[in-house]
Amino acid sequence: MIAMGRNVMKELEKVRRYIYNCRKCGVCSGKVTSKVPYVCPVKESTAGFDHFSSRGKTVIAQGLLEGAISPSAELAEVIYSCTLCGNCMTQCGSINQDTGEALVDTTKIVEAMRADFLQNHPKWIDPAYRSILSSTRQYNNPWGLSRTEKEKWAKKMKIKNAQKEPSPVLLFVGCTMASSQELSSRPRKAAEIMSTANVDFAILGKDEPCCGSVQKRIGDVPLAREMMEENINLFNSLGCEAIVTLCAGCANMLKNDYRESKEKLKPRVLHIVEFLPKLIQERKLQLREKHSLKATYHDPCHIGRHMGIYDQPRAILNALPGVDLIERYATKENTICCGAGGGMRIFESGSLAEKIGHAALKSAMQVGAKALVTACPFCEMNLDAASRSLNNQIPVYDIIDMVYEALQ
Amino acid sequence: MHTKKMLQSLQEIVGKEFVTTDRFATFAYSEDASNFGGTHAAGVVRPGSTEEVALILSLANRQRIPVVVRGGGASIYGQPKGIPGHNLLLDMTRMNNVKEINPQSMTVTAQAGIIMSKLELACRKEGFYIFTPFVPNHIVSLGGWMSGVAGSAGLWKDIISMTVVLADGTVVTTGGGPGTNRHQPLVYNRTLGGPDFTGLFTGDGGSFGIKTEATVRIRKYPPFVRAGIMEFATLGNVLAMMERHVQRDTSFPFDALLVFGAGAMENFAVGTEGVKAFTVQRMAMGYSSDELDCRLAAFHADAQELGGTSNPALEAMAVAMEASTGTEGDPGMDWMALFNGFGRAAWLPFTLPREGFADVYHQLLAWREERMRAADERGYRCNATWEFFTVSDQSTIIGEMDVFFEETHEPGLQAYARDLMRDFQEYAHRLGSIDVYNQGFMADLNATCWSPGFKGLFQTVKTSLDPNNILNPGLWSDLKKDPER
Repeated sequence: MIAMGRNVMKELEKVRRYIYNCRKCGVCSGKVTSKVPYVCPVKESTAGFDHFSSRGKTVIAQGLLEGAISPSAELAEVIYSCTLCGNCMTQCGSINQDTGEALVDTTKIVEAMRADFLQNHPKWIDPAYRSILSSTRQYNNPWGLSRTEKEKWAKKMKIKNAQKEPSPVLLFVGCTMASSQELSSRPRKAAEIMSTANVDFAILGKDEPCCGSVQKRIGDVPLAREMMEENINLFNSLGCEAIVTLCAGCANMLKNDYRESKEKLKPRVLHIVEFLPKLIQERKLQLREKHSLKATYHDPCHIGRHMGIYDQPRAILNALPGVDLIERYATKENTICCGAGGGMRIFESGSLAEKIGHAALKSAMQVGAKALVTACPFCEMNLDAASRSLNNQIPVYDIIDMVYEALQ
Repeated sequence: MHTKKMLQSLQEIVGKEFVTTDRFATFAYSEDASNFGGTHAAGVVRPGSTEEVALILSLANRQRIPVVVRGGGASIYGQPKGIPGHNLLLDMTRMNNVKEINPQSMTVTAQAGIIMSKLELACRKEGFYIFTPFVPNHIVSLGGWMSGVAGSAGLWKDIISMTVVLADGTVVTTGGGPGTNRHQPLVYNRTLGGPDFTGLFTGDGGSFGIKTEATVRIRKYPPFVRAGIMEFATLGNVLAMMERHVQRDTSFPFDALLVFGAGAMENFAVGTEGVKAFTVQRMAMGYSSDELDCRLAAFHADAQELGGTSNPALEAMAVAMEASTGTEGDPGMDWMALFNGFGRAAWLPFTLPREGFADVYHQLLAWREERMRAADERGYRCNATWEFFTVSDQSTIIGEMDVFFEETHEPGLQAYARDLMRDFQEYAHRLGSIDVYNQGFMADLNATCWSPGFKGLFQTVKTSLDPNNILNPGLWSDLKKDPER
């Protein structure tokens, strides 16, 4: 452990291999191809100094480890200016040939810096982030929802409770999907889709815990770990075979981050875009044409770059009669983040996130798309806000909406 | 640098958001792609235009503030150090626009902070390309390449004009065209109308002025690529192949004969395990399939006559090379980033006359072997080594014999790799190597080898153009090691 004056960079020390593996070449900052218009959405949408880029943040992390620079309130702000989208890692492309692990995992470096700052200098952290953490401690979710609010969407629906009636599939809604009236229509629609396909599933309703993703991304590692361990015990006790999530952040957390826990999660974790193609293929869902629509798909970073899910959502959209799926220039692993990742909806009151969102929408309009479809509530919220400020030139849909519509 | 008034003046020039003196922000520029590090600056400014650069330099010149320039941060030998802690660093990458592609005159004009792959892509969209075979294209900026690499490694003949801001803020445009001839609106030929001042600023390390724009020759993109690979048992036969290669006159700027050292191939190319000999790769691009078939046939005939042999693994490799180079018009690969997965690199480049090459090559290899043993004793494990060389013109061979160490995740290894590079260059220079990199340590080393006359000329030019020595001070000036001083 390296002491930083009175500070200790405990989490950063754990990821030092990523920091020293980085050659500081800057490919993560400058790369341009016909499929990569730019790499870092934050660098592109700010004044562009190196500290906004992956290389600059890694140099800073190294400086903190070696004691060349000291933490400061201003620096705290900088380390939160990252969407954790991972495009820098994709474009760097350096992987351990034996394990497939990224040699320079910038998302882990940034998360570690956040964790150390939050631990050592909580007062420097934006109060909005701290409020998420206190909400979590009080309500077991980041948005301060009461337990009844979390199951409100399921009112008048006859859905099994996973703790009382074991089912092979647990539909995991996620806190964000339940956080607003608009978003909470998604779990209802997802449940109806699954019922239509005769899927035997259950929910946790008011007892559904938060997965811990938001808390981990903003740096509260101990809290996230605690949540993770409790949740694994809960999920394993349910006896289900699969957990199907509606939120990309939950999927990434449950599938990837939960691997760090000593106790292993037994059920398989699937995002709903991985679950639906089979139902469509087996003709359990009869899809009808509602209206013709030229649409493009925005790959959420959590399930795209972080989980490698690219083909399944496209298979769903291609199966929808009337939908003409087209691709943006930067698509799949090259997708530019919507702007909402890594807690950026909170950073600078969301203004930077919205600016980044504009770029995503414009890239869709550039190829002639009339709608942008995504599969993540954070993407949807941010892109929708960006669309509103562009006079709703292009609507934003969740893929669940599209499937649900086609079933009516 | 740290006066409130200065900061305020800079903010007035470029806008408040494009100036920073935050410690962490300036620290982010303290590393670059090299093992030698970046610049320790008191402040960083990101200008957006030639006019802004002119105002900044005028201000810095009046205040005697050292100015250090950075493009993509892609150097091998480090950024200019300037006066650590006092520098005003110009991050030029905000100046990243293509201003004009002129298909008729076959030129592209762009701001100097543009990263080469962005510039290349813009040209390829119009069916053209820039000849930049050895550019780490996703990393280096146009200005960095023109300044930091002697002759810009092949690009230099194609640079037609530069817009340069001198230390006092004066803006000059070199080359034929409006910068030289006020009656000529087109920038189309560099060598007309006066001395070649474009050459003066090429490879100057940014010491004579700050480049803000350039006009560069573009060529129609050749739709066909062919590759052939042969192996040779001896260096003598390889050099005989090179001699035949350079004796021919070609109209193609990229008509490469790439040589990989004995056994180097199997470290890097899957399927070539067991290839212990030198391999000579012929890469040819052209405008018709028939033409390329003829050129490849000539290569194979020459190689066979000189003892070259082939095998299925190398033939498969050639096909893969054709496919990866491709003609889809996308500058996808970056040679420097390609090696990121191999561990901590000690880049050991050399540039030598073709005449007498073999002897020096073997001495350099022996030197490296000895140092690798020493590294091993210190606990630094080697992941891989490789040797590569090619002809850069009729009389010159340019190459590398790089080492990749297993990463230890401690600062000590970077320092060791840096020392290895420094020692190698000092040894290679004693054997007559003069490297193309006019950056950081290498510029200093090159300067120690200058003859008195050349040194005097340099100093005269530098003093005339930058009397207060504010532009990249210290670069070229490591004259203490010069035995003649």
